[in-house]
Amino acid sequence: MTTLETPSRVHATLVTDRRELAPGVVLLGLDAPELAASTLPGQFVMAVPPSGEAAATALGVYEAEARRASLLFFVTGKRTRELSELHVGERLDLVGPLGNGFDLQSSPRRVAIVAGGVGIASVLLPAQALIRAGSRVTLLYGARTSSLLVEAERFADAGCEVALATDDGTAGYHGYVTDLLERSHNHDLILACGPSPMLRAVARVAAQIGVRAQLSLEETFACGVGGCWGCVVPIARTSAQAPSFPPEPAGGSDAVNARICKEGPVFWSDELRW
Amino acid sequence: MVETQPSLAVTIGKLELPYPTLMGSGCYGSGKEFVQFANLRKIGAVVLKSVTRLPRMGNATPRLVHTPAGMLNAIGLQNPGIDWYLEHEVPKYARLPWRVVGSVAGFSIDDYAYVSERLAARDEIAAIELNISCPNVASEGETFACDPHLTSKVVRTCRGLTDKTLIVKLSPNVTDIAAIAYEAEAAGADALAVINTVRGMAIDVDTWHPRLGNVTGGLSGPAIRPIAVLAVYEVARVVTIPIIGQGGIETTRDALEFLLAGASAISIGTANFTDPRIPERIVEGLREYLWNRNLSSIDEIVGKANVGFATAHEYEGDEG
Repeated sequence: MTTLETPSRVHATLVTDRRELAPGVVLLGLDAPELAASTLPGQFVMAVPPSGEAAATALGVYEAEARRASLLFFVTGKRTRELSELHVGERLDLVGPLGNGFDLQSSPRRVAIVAGGVGIASVLLPAQALIRAGSRVTLLYGARTSSLLVEAERFADAGCEVALATDDGTAGYHGYVTDLLERSHNHDLILACGPSPMLRAVARVAAQIGVRAQLSLEETFACGVGGCWGCVVPIARTSAQAPSFPPEPAGGSDAVNARICKEGPVFWSDELRW
Repeated sequence: MVETQPSLAVTIGKLELPYPTLMGSGCYGSGKEFVQFANLRKIGAVVLKSVTRLPRMGNATPRLVHTPAGMLNAIGLQNPGIDWYLEHEVPKYARLPWRVVGSVAGFSIDDYAYVSERLAARDEIAAIELNISCPNVASEGETFACDPHLTSKVVRTCRGLTDKTLIVKLSPNVTDIAAIAYEAEAAGADALAVINTVRGMAIDVDTWHPRLGNVTGGLSGPAIRPIAVLAVYEVARVVTIPIIGQGGIETTRDALEFLLAGASAISIGTANFTDPRIPERIVEGLREYLWNRNLSSIDEIVGKANVGFATAHEYEGDEG
């Protein structure tokens, strides 16, 4: 029998610190002991809008240490603006941690982490975990322009080698971050988080250079917990992450829709059928 | 003196619910998805995602777009088909401590009959909702709810196949929802779910592409609440069966609006995506509202918004 418990994964947190890392890029530190203790690298939360208006916002958990968890996000619309306007001491309710994060169990020797723009928010925890476990980690970090390359030094401090790329050439390599990946060598594993075009390029490059890649996908979520089937992506039926589903009557397709929020958000690039 | 708590229990056809709150179809899975995020002791029932005769992969993504005061969705009835569903999914509902209502979608009278009969035969399923109003499947999904004769035919057919409570979910995308509601009751419906989503569209002005993979979608959330309240009000004037009011309910006061308009129960969908604790807050709020007014049950407020007794039609007559 399914047991009913008081909701255990809804957390009332308090804003402890707030920094504007660049215009429109905000880091919110939160007193969230249960969330900080239970979040695995690559998992996300749904932030309940403080005004109660509009849907919750899915955000990667940036840091999680002791009592403190943090969220790093770009202000892109009404919902993120509302979150960006929270002050220290104010309350923010979070649902989570949600989804399946990165699979770091293979004990890779050398890992390339590819982050694009706000994708940086979901890769600090896996970088830290890998470094703790003895992996060498290279962060390949791209953005439109240098001012949006926030927190690069944080990754260097954590022990990552860091290579930067900008679309406009204002910092690092002038071009796409995936060009840097194409020229990299000797990685056993690639992790990536960023906009869909970047992830597709990472998948292509990963196949070219023969290294497996885990991609943290981005999609609009409604429920965030697997209840609405709004955020699907086709993946191979043979994937361990594939939900059980009968074949289409016509047959022949080896793909099945997985929920990005529930079975993902991280998928192996060679199992995606997008 | 021991004072009695007001009762929040409601009866919809043969379905007895401890609370007047259903979780809307397609929004809540079977409820199990929400166990760690919501208090499922404090809900009336979960309406399951619609199932069809054959498996469906659903629409291309994006399937969701957030819009002002709401969201557009076009999932496209993704489901494993009734045969797989009965074998692999329904058994999982056997020991759930909350009631689940099966939801049936189709593309022909025969589809609805086939799926309804099989689903209704299962003990795990407390009642059946006929989703004759899905706006997100190539032209056909909503056909039934837009035509009084087809509504009558599909309801009458399914009525003949089960004694379980039969709820018919109506579309707001019609000229006269009351006329459809009247036919559904005459054909044997036990209750009406009012309303499904309102058709809508959003376009990305940077890429010049529609923002939904399906191009069009169904609008939900507070943006449609006044449309839904009016629909309940109009339907309540022509039917005697219970109405389950739905469309953008987020708070106790929103729920009360629907009850006063004539709904006997309400359904919560999109609000679960804002905060999964909303259904519990609404039932606690309803209890407090009744208590503060010395009312003993929900029934005492159902349909009491009759001030003025003027229908929309009478107002129209005053114009010009």
